[in-house]
Amino acid sequence: MTRLRWAILALAIVGTAIAAYLTYVHYADVAPICTTGGCEKVQRSSYAKIAGVPVALLGLFAYTAIAATTLWRGVAAATVGAVLALGGVAFSGYLLWAQLGPIGAICQWCLGNDVVIALVAVLSVVRLATEPD
Amino acid sequence: MKSRRVLLIAAVVGGAAVLAVVLILVASSGSSKSPTTSVSTDASASTSPKTLFAGIPQSGDTVGQPSAPATMLVFEDPQCPYCQVWSLNDLPTVVDQFVRTGQLKLTYRGIPIIGPNSVKGLRAVFAAGEQNKLWQFSSALYEMQGAENSGWITDDVILSAARAAGADGPAILAASPTKAVTAQLANAESEAQTYQIRGTPTFVIEKPPALAQQLNVTSLDPGTFASELQAALQ
Repeated sequence: MTRLRWAILALAIVGTAIAAYLTYVHYADVAPICTTGGCEKVQRSSYAKIAGVPVALLGLFAYTAIAATTLWRGVAAATVGAVLALGGVAFSGYLLWAQLGPIGAICQWCLGNDVVIALVAVLSVVRLATEPD
Repeated sequence: MKSRRVLLIAAVVGGAAVLAVVLILVASSGSSKSPTTSVSTDASASTSPKTLFAGIPQSGDTVGQPSAPATMLVFEDPQCPYCQVWSLNDLPTVVDQFVRTGQLKLTYRGIPIIGPNSVKGLRAVFAAGEQNKLWQFSSALYEMQGAENSGWITDDVILSAARAAGADGPAILAASPTKAVTAQLANAESEAQTYQIRGTPTFVIEKPPALAQQLNVTSLDPGTFASELQAALQ
């Protein structure tokens, strides 16, 4: 496995851990550990679910899928990983806007996720550009 | 070959954009969950606003023992008839059974649902909080409630409600337009958005470390309301 794929895999595992924790917090119905003071407010907001599905659970699936794409060589796997990562960045941007605007609270876990998914997206595009056919 | 890869990256960016747009559209259209508040309309019983809260600590928008393990946010509008029913029928029971016994604090979250006249009333209510008489004043105002959007919340009504609440009426009128009161209004509206409040009265129970939960109210019959509140506090 190339160093680039290892790097994406490592970041995807970090993202998976964040998403898994937030998914647990959601279903266990407990308040998340929070130093920014707004995590519960964000988690209780209407932006925390899509059609009844917690956003954290969607993130968990996405990170798991991105991690899985690093296990295969080739343009097809790189393409799937890049689509998921770039889609994740765009949706994370929307959620960041929601935190700064309508919700009026910041969640540290969401910010951590934003950083991770942005790095994954950059590396995934580099991988797609350089992956051998 | 290289140009094919550039095209592929462009297609990937486009695909990701479509994916994100779909997610955002679903997310923004899927938040139409409405609260459940069906009510009975028996507004007969009432207790004097002054005596109802006598001896209970009150600070700003919150009444109850500071050590109470749970807080109930009450989203209400002074023009809302069902809020009047709740205030006159249920609030005395809630105060006696839950607030006086130190199980629960009540925090006022007034939001203008009915119309512009609600804002005048809400400003007066929050201004009464500066005298730690918010809950007495709110109860007194409900006792004087008129028809929705008839303009019944006037300076005279506010002064009368203040007298009934044992509060300083002119000070309430003076404090109503201040930035501090505006900030409280904005805070209540922000929380209403957070908790997806679609109507009044709506109640949210905060009992850390559990997540805040909207109280599922099936009736404003005081006995039923107290039972449902008791269950939520377990």
